[in-house]
Amino acid sequence: MSYLVKRGHIEMWQKSGTCIGLLLLLCILAGCTITDSAFARTTGNAGSAFAAAMTTLAYEHEGKITSAYAASSFADFQSELTGTDQTLLAQGAANTQTVRHLLALYTPAMQVIDAPCLSNACDWRTQDALLQRASQAFLEAGNT
Amino acid sequence: MKKQWTSIALGIVTAIGGFLDAGTIATSGEAGAKFGLGLVWIVLVATVAVILLVEMVGRFTAVSKKTYAEAIREDFGFRFYLLPLASEVIAESMLLAAELGGVAIALSLFTGISWHILFPFVALFVWIIIWRGSFDLIENGPALLGLVTLSFLAGIVALGGIPAQLLPTLWHPSFQQGTVADYLYLVAAILGSTISPYLLYFYSSGAREERWTGASLLLNRVTAIVGMGFGSMGSLALLVLAAIVLQPLNISASTLGELGIAMAKPFGIVGSLLFASVLFATCLGAALEVVLAVSYNIAQGFGWEWGENKKPAEAARFNLVMTIFLLIAVAIGLTGIDPLQLALFASTIISLFLPISLSPFLILMNDPQYLGKKTNRRFTNIAMVCILVLAFLVALISLPLEIITGGG
Repeated sequence: MSYLVKRGHIEMWQKSGTCIGLLLLLCILAGCTITDSAFARTTGNAGSAFAAAMTTLAYEHEGKITSAYAASSFADFQSELTGTDQTLLAQGAANTQTVRHLLALYTPAMQVIDAPCLSNACDWRTQDALLQRASQAFLEAGNT
Repeated sequence: MKKQWTSIALGIVTAIGGFLDAGTIATSGEAGAKFGLGLVWIVLVATVAVILLVEMVGRFTAVSKKTYAEAIREDFGFRFYLLPLASEVIAESMLLAAELGGVAIALSLFTGISWHILFPFVALFVWIIIWRGSFDLIENGPALLGLVTLSFLAGIVALGGIPAQLLPTLWHPSFQQGTVADYLYLVAAILGSTISPYLLYFYSSGAREERWTGASLLLNRVTAIVGMGFGSMGSLALLVLAAIVLQPLNISASTLGELGIAMAKPFGIVGSLLFASVLFATCLGAALEVVLAVSYNIAQGFGWEWGENKKPAEAARFNLVMTIFLLIAVAIGLTGIDPLQLALFASTIISLFLPISLSPFLILMNDPQYLGKKTNRRFTNIAMVCILVLAFLVALISLPLEIITGGG
């Protein structure tokens, strides 16, 4: 009797395991239709980070956040965006022209991220414009 | 009578202040920034679930005079007890690292000093509090500070309320191409961050620390329903703020500092610093609770002496576990993983483990040997099973997708 119960349990676990395995496989196969491509995800995330950096810079100069707050935020943007150029080169082989265009905007925008103008002694508006251009281009690339 | 009402008021206040943590802040902010009001429903579902669970675990401990971990070990045996314990330790160590990172980022937003430098000092600060502080200090101190979360509601009012064009996203979230996996991932993460099992171990042990009895059931029920109900308002308010301010700016709230922009828009510098204060208080409170919850769990399961009100020498192994667990979280945090991403991932892992962590609880709550006439009613059981299955399935689907695509 106990042997039969034990075998019943084993069969139940085997069936459950098979169902979960099939479900996972289905999810992974469906993954290509319900998630972005890696390239679109990278560009979308970078576009969003540039947009956040642009707003942070503007808010700092409008007196809505402190310099310390902005400096801390820019350190996070730096961690998030560093290496995006290498990722784009690796992922964007099928779209060389777009990648070249994005990299042309990425380099000056990253210079802003690395050394943002958080005082009145420098030209923050030019920096803001660079970030805006990069943000728009990356977001557009992420949506196409 | 006056003392009981004071306890009830304090219970409500601490539940409101203690509801948010790095996980709920990360998930609510990202949900609002990416999907407008499209994930409000799951915050409401998670709130109902946490109210039910907190009420149940409080009732169980008050009536049976046993904590959740003690009862699992006693009723299911030591081998089975190791299963929820292992899932708890894996998920909560990541969450603890995220909470410590959240405190470090909050201090970084105040000072401009890198959070990576502040992280070890935060861990040391937490260790000193758990080593020296009393249970009341740990339970009430950060939670009272956490009441500043109510400033999120003031932020929505100052912005003129919810714009009319945002309301349709409540029932028809705007999906951009390929964002379904993100949506599912956030559903699982919101459930995992709100129904985190550490809350139950902490609440259950807290009830024993405060020597609850059958007479404490009113306090328990009011704390669960009113406290947790109002507590979720902080989470909802942050989601709405992110939807109003961040979504139109194309900011997806992928770092914690970005969320402060939502408060800076209506209140300027004061708003951004209020956000940093919320982050500090809620993550500190949660970090203390997570360390204690895991240590309670292990000490109670292994039958060791435990109690935060005891001197470290009187509960040596309990205190040793706290220190070791904190060190594990510090090691995870020192790898430099962004706390927000870690909080999101930990919340989804917790969601995946929820059935393991909570299924013994549902069985215990129906055992008259522990609860006499205070066992669960059928409706409560059905509601809980549905929520747990939903959390598990969503996490099962979304986790592989997110790992494959490298998102999160």
